[in-house]
Amino acid sequence: MRLFLASVLIPLALMICAAAAELRAPAQVTAGKSFSLASTGNGKGMLYLTGPGQASKRSVMLGDEIQIRGDEVEHAGRYTAVICDSGNCAATHFFVRAAEPAKVSLLVHPSRVRVGQPNAISGVAFVFDKFRNLVLSPTQVDFKAIPKQGAAVAQTRATQNGVTWIRLTSATKEGPAKIGASLGKVSELRVVQQVASEACNLRIKPDWNGGKFFAETEPVRDCSGNAVSDGTVVSFTKVDASGKTTVDVPIKRGVARVQMPLKGNAKILVASGVVTGNELSVEGRQ
Amino acid sequence: MMRAALNVLVILALAGGAYFVSWPAVMADAGSPEVELNAENLGPRPIEELTEKSITRDYGHAWQTMAAALRENRSDLLDGYFTGIAKAILAEEIAEQKRSGVRVRYTDQGHKLEAIFYSPSGDAMQLRDRARLEVEIVDGDKVVHREDVTLNYLVLMTPGADRWLVRDLQTTAAEVRP
Repeated sequence: MRLFLASVLIPLALMICAAAAELRAPAQVTAGKSFSLASTGNGKGMLYLTGPGQASKRSVMLGDEIQIRGDEVEHAGRYTAVICDSGNCAATHFFVRAAEPAKVSLLVHPSRVRVGQPNAISGVAFVFDKFRNLVLSPTQVDFKAIPKQGAAVAQTRATQNGVTWIRLTSATKEGPAKIGASLGKVSELRVVQQVASEACNLRIKPDWNGGKFFAETEPVRDCSGNAVSDGTVVSFTKVDASGKTTVDVPIKRGVARVQMPLKGNAKILVASGVVTGNELSVEGRQ
Repeated sequence: MMRAALNVLVILALAGGAYFVSWPAVMADAGSPEVELNAENLGPRPIEELTEKSITRDYGHAWQTMAAALRENRSDLLDGYFTGIAKAILAEEIAEQKRSGVRVRYTDQGHKLEAIFYSPSGDAMQLRDRARLEVEIVDGDKVVHREDVTLNYLVLMTPGADRWLVRDLQTTAAEVRP
């Protein structure tokens, strides 16, 4: 009988001692907000707190509410609190979720785009709280595209998993366009430079100067009337009795100009990218 | 002759040792955890074959270097595969570990990744990870807590010069579905 009691009571007593300290946490906590863990037991114990950016320990009084400061739980994610008392440890877990949306981060691509390109500009917005946690609850983000000329375009999109995105067609007029994403009073702005598209109606004219022949384009513009950027290459091709010669010339101040030595009759052709222009027939001397 | 051969062997052994010691700072070795990637529901941009391989490889390396960094209290190991807020938080955690003597040890048992968002211009990818881990919390040499757990992570990766980097790594209470 004594043996039976000892074999039952001693392990029971040990179990009671082992389970003396317990810890309970709220299921979910907001980043940066202080809260308390409920503990059982008595005497002194050691609290361990681990989680994103956190790996601390401190002495606590068991049986009391254990205060966790807001600055110990600024990062969203899963935390583990462990309380140890005379070698026995008990653990609990809790999740910290992001605080209120406070910051929007905007990625816009490309930084330079040709005019009139459908869905050529993309904007991706990430919503963060003040501790830089991604806010996972759906949040409305206002996108706005403000061209240099013309009316602004606005669209509102809800985030999924903290992210939302938009695609935009570039304007028909060249110049900078501001792409913005805002969240209440907070906003982020990026600038996309819209540049002329391919040359359109490419035309050349002859120019004799000091007995030398020059071929020169009229001001090179795209089909929307935007001046094609300086530096864009225009190819001049001369076809005469000696054969075919091609010269590549960059546009300078809106036009491309090249001197071409002529002997006899020649045809001058012009092209820029896939666009071809008019053809000139010239004679060797004037 | 024998002595010269011995010298060569010693030099080779030292060079090899130095290479392996410096290895984790640059790239992870073949002991990366198992990573499976599902990109079937990815949008708006479809994933490229090479990107799929890179994400799988680099995410595995990121976990391997993270576990090593936390185990050895070496924030320099984070340079290879972490950037932005993810790197900052892990560096903060390592600094806390050094201060308190408490460490978190991960034994990685594999990841099931699901790619959920790939930006139109290809400069950011968001993924969900279902990670199987053994986690130990250690105070000095004493293990104060040990658990086998499956955790859900929301991951943001961005491309670096020659690899994808983890920019955000956040555990979520449950799978976050749109």
